[in-house]
Amino acid sequence: MQIVVNTSVPTDDMTKVQARRVFSMRQVSWANDSTITVYVMEEHHPTHKVFSTQVLGLFPYQLDRIWNKLVYSGLGEEPIKVKNEQEMLDRISNTPGAIGYLLNNIQIDNFNVKIIRVGEG
Amino acid sequence: MGMERLILGLSILLVACFVSALSHAREVKVNGFIAQGVIQADGSNFVEDDGDISFKLTEVGLNSSYRFNSIFRVAGQAVYLDGGNRYQQGARIDYLFLESQLYDSDQWSVKAQLGRNKNYHWLYSATRDVPHTRPSIILPQSLYFDVFRDVALGVDGLALVTQGNNSLGEWDINFSLGTSPISSEQRTNLLGASAKGKLKHDSDKQFSVYWRPNLSGFQYGLSVIDADFRYVQGENDAFVNGKETSQRFMFNVMYQGSKHEVALEVMRERTIAEDVLFAGYYSDTFAEGGYLQWRYFLPQNLTWMARLDLYDRDRDDRNGSLISTLSQGVVPSYFGYMDQGTLGLTWEFSENIQIQAEIHRVKGAARLAPIFTPNIALNRNKYWNIWAVQLMYWF
Repeated sequence: MQIVVNTSVPTDDMTKVQARRVFSMRQVSWANDSTITVYVMEEHHPTHKVFSTQVLGLFPYQLDRIWNKLVYSGLGEEPIKVKNEQEMLDRISNTPGAIGYLLNNIQIDNFNVKIIRVGEG
Repeated sequence: MGMERLILGLSILLVACFVSALSHAREVKVNGFIAQGVIQADGSNFVEDDGDISFKLTEVGLNSSYRFNSIFRVAGQAVYLDGGNRYQQGARIDYLFLESQLYDSDQWSVKAQLGRNKNYHWLYSATRDVPHTRPSIILPQSLYFDVFRDVALGVDGLALVTQGNNSLGEWDINFSLGTSPISSEQRTNLLGASAKGKLKHDSDKQFSVYWRPNLSGFQYGLSVIDADFRYVQGENDAFVNGKETSQRFMFNVMYQGSKHEVALEVMRERTIAEDVLFAGYYSDTFAEGGYLQWRYFLPQNLTWMARLDLYDRDRDDRNGSLISTLSQGVVPSYFGYMDQGTLGLTWEFSENIQIQAEIHRVKGAARLAPIFTPNIALNRNKYWNIWAVQLMYWF
């Protein structure tokens, strides 16, 4: 599992805590003030389950609760949901500031994306 | 009147901003929910006066938000609710505010919301009218008291929302200041049908802190409220001019695991009432309450829920004997408490569609309307039951 961003994103690595901040929509802009656009798959998608638990250390229902609170209390916006890996790759590639995740075996050559290294902490 | 006009003016300005933003937006996301259920609170006036089966369990909402730039954003939600005697039936603006990002770094952010804000201070207060976000159809009445719902929803005023991270973990720090409009129906729910005057919310200050230790399944929260109310006598009114102050302290802890979620939320509330019932009346009491809730996640998107909810109107009169004595036996002692055991089941059987069902066994009547003048004619039972089933869809 890997975190993938549009090549415009001004970072090459992030900690697990930072990744949680971004995917729980607590951080909405990058260091250069560009807007972060977050793409995720549906709560019950196998890739989403693996990403949520293994990379973020959150169960999918916890993320869902966080996003529900944002959307239905006006506190913020939820991520944009995509159907599969291919759509995820296409949308990140075409959206400056975008971030999402893909399985390791997905080929990203010829797309406008780069992989983010995730460290502990 | 000045404050009401200011709020009205601000509301019109926000609606204008919102409509203008939506008309210029290339891609506006609209979210919402619709839910209809059937409910019976047999042996009480909780939903219907006669305790009969009711379809007054309707919740519909539509919301959207628009970001002008990295600093300013506007967000709003309109809802239509029907809960029988639990709260006022009809459509209303749930929230509508202009948000300004005051500070933003990779660790901390501070936002200010001006307008009608949600109550972000309690565990379920921010989305208590959004059916699929609740653990149950009826929330624990010790804390999420439906009769007082409109006042507890949020305030017309200012909210400051701080979110951050440090070496200890994740933090949410919230402060709000404002007032809430109190309708004549809500006044009647609180004081009784013989109240003809106006109940006004003079001020409401709330503060809360939530802490989630780094990469932990636990969350701890505490909140404090200080709210002042004023009653202005009407014509042919059984009540008199007076004031009331509520000061509430709450603590909650939640554990979220892969198969289980456990939540505990407790409160102590001091209520000081001067006059209102009659000239010279004075009351200073401490109510206590709280609930322990367990949810168990099963395969096929099924969730079981069990909860015990306890409430005592006066910690120095937990069995309500003083209420009975002071009323010379007219008001039964069970109006001094309300304890509730609940079992529920939720099944998300399709994407964004779920059905929720629950049963409640209730002992006592302290959280039944009206609060100041108990309705002993409609609430003759120390023990009573609630059952409810609700179908909900969201997008």
